[in-house]
Amino acid sequence: MDQRAILDHQFTVAAYAVTWAIQLGYLAWLGLRWRAQKRANARSIRTPR
Amino acid sequence: MVEDTSTLNAFLHEHRVSGRQRRERIETHMKRLLIGIYAVATLVLMAWGFYQAIYVAPLDAMQGEIFRIIFYHVPSAAVAFLFFAISLAGSIGYLSFRRNQPDWAQASDAWALAGAEVGVVFCTVVLITGPLWGRRAWGIWWTWDARLTTTLVLWLIYVSYLLLRRFAAGPQMQTLAAVLGIFGALDVPIVYMSNRWWRTQHPAPVFGGGEGSGMDPVMKHALGWNLLAWFAWGMLILVLRYRVERQQQRFAAREAQAALAEL
Repeated sequence: MDQRAILDHQFTVAAYAVTWAIQLGYLAWLGLRWRAQKRANARSIRTPR
Repeated sequence: MVEDTSTLNAFLHEHRVSGRQRRERIETHMKRLLIGIYAVATLVLMAWGFYQAIYVAPLDAMQGEIFRIIFYHVPSAAVAFLFFAISLAGSIGYLSFRRNQPDWAQASDAWALAGAEVGVVFCTVVLITGPLWGRRAWGIWWTWDARLTTTLVLWLIYVSYLLLRRFAAGPQMQTLAAVLGIFGALDVPIVYMSNRWWRTQHPAPVFGGGEGSGMDPVMKHALGWNLLAWFAWGMLILVLRYRVERQQQRFAAREAQAALAEL
């Protein structure tokens, strides 16, 4: 593999990896929010002010 | 006799309640099952799209392997546009229903927020994968041409929309956000048409770009699979975001009612 092909490969891998990192990171953040909201809802139903 | 009637009524009431609970439980299980099947189908589709992009699509004669970025870059842009359109519909819905049908207005607002937020996620992917491709294809990370600039402006508008929703308070916040959401969506057709209206460094349209445009059928096939896969993935997280927002709205309404009851 020449230098150009190696760099092309590295940039392609970086693009794919960044895409998945952003998507999975967002999904994880959403999951945490979902769980926190569910807990808050359950708490407010159990112990009304 | 009276006692018999009340016993019968109590029995019927209990029976109705337990029947409803059972139905609700079955509905919840069915919903979970359907979401599970959809999630698995989406993951299979993503894997298939990845296989098509990396192993099936041939190398581009001019660009070599860097061309494969298109299989994530273009679907991300298409899905971002679609979700900004959903945000637009939600914003219009909120402004239409806010006086007469508050529950519909809240649902519309949740769609508007979900569309904007997930759209920003996909637009971020576009703005990162684009420069990665540009660095290798053009030798530069960024240039202020019409396509790139209008995309950055679109991203900034929707980030400001999310900041407004996060930090503004009061009853006018949703209305202001809806108006900003509508203005933001006006940039979507400008982004789409920018490389048709103006001479840009960004490549000319591959589809519907007139003479000389188009793509190898195998590449087109791989792009189609990835479009489908990213659309399925996007819908999954869009619905999840919508449901989180609806839960949050119900929680806020309950808290407000409880606070009023204390007065």
